[in-house]
Amino acid sequence: MALDYITAEVKALIGVESARLEATHPVEASEVRRFFQATMDPAPRYWDAARAGRGRYGALVAPLGFPVHAFRRPPERADPLDAMGEADFDGRERTLRAGLPAVPVPLPRLLNGGYEYEFFRHARVGERIFRKSRYRDIYQRDGKSGAMVFLVIEDVYTNEAGEPLLKSVNTMILR
Amino acid sequence: MAQVYFEDVTVGAAIPDLVKGPMSTAHIMRWSAAMENWHRIHYDWRYATAHDKLPDVVVNGSWKQHVMIQLLADWAGEGGWPWKLRFQFRGMNLPGETLTAWGRVKAKEARGRFGVVELEIGLRNEKGEEGTPGNATVVLPRRDGPPVPYPFDPRVLDQAAVS
Repeated sequence: MALDYITAEVKALIGVESARLEATHPVEASEVRRFFQATMDPAPRYWDAARAGRGRYGALVAPLGFPVHAFRRPPERADPLDAMGEADFDGRERTLRAGLPAVPVPLPRLLNGGYEYEFFRHARVGERIFRKSRYRDIYQRDGKSGAMVFLVIEDVYTNEAGEPLLKSVNTMILR
Repeated sequence: MAQVYFEDVTVGAAIPDLVKGPMSTAHIMRWSAAMENWHRIHYDWRYATAHDKLPDVVVNGSWKQHVMIQLLADWAGEGGWPWKLRFQFRGMNLPGETLTAWGRVKAKEARGRFGVVELEIGLRNEKGEEGTPGNATVVLPRRDGPPVPYPFDPRVLDQAAVS
């Protein structure tokens, strides 16, 4: 029988919500460009302003999944690369969402289990992105390779007018 | 790509594949740098292989998900909408692999003035190994109807068709 990682302290995090937090900066054309070039997605709605302006988007937009990556490290937060000298440091921060407390489960490996997305509109270049996050569930499964703790995180992304951009449910796995 | 209409869709049929690659370490590095993702398994070969016992550095799941989104957005066209997408990261993908995002129609239903299509989707490598299985829901226009309104509001699916 594996150790029970779902302590009262962990259980108390289920349902905990973040505030509605703003992304590090408004959607930048350069960040959008690097995104669509790295995903090799040449759709003109991301770069052809004249065409995008005439189409249903009315302006240049970012790829639909762009807001998920808009919450970059703000200048005041510690540099995660400071820990690169530690042999076991995997390069990832354990605070999975700004505004949500870290889950105190002492398992070393963090894996992304997958996503559910619901899309409503693209973020526009120049627009401000906001996110509100919540721990929907935290549970443990014990497999052949030991215990795995699943963190199910809901995120709602909106623009500055409060219009929905997308919703996601992300399952992160600690093992 | 020409607009696909609800009437064009056949249950069991494939939608056009979206092929990426062969993937190189530079593709992985480019995405990691653009997203400021410092997870070592994507660029630190010694860490990936010696510490995490992986066969090589691995393609980012965060990158793969956008390929799946692109598959659906390309197919839906500017008259349709890639409404929902669900997938699991089940298998890793390595440098050298060519990745094909694919979709197959499972079901279709006319709702209001639009059509809702359910798809099975995935991202397989050149050996046919599936690493990112999932499913999706795409809203398409009907041949005699309007484009799907943008921004998308699911309530339009509950509005009666205009005669």
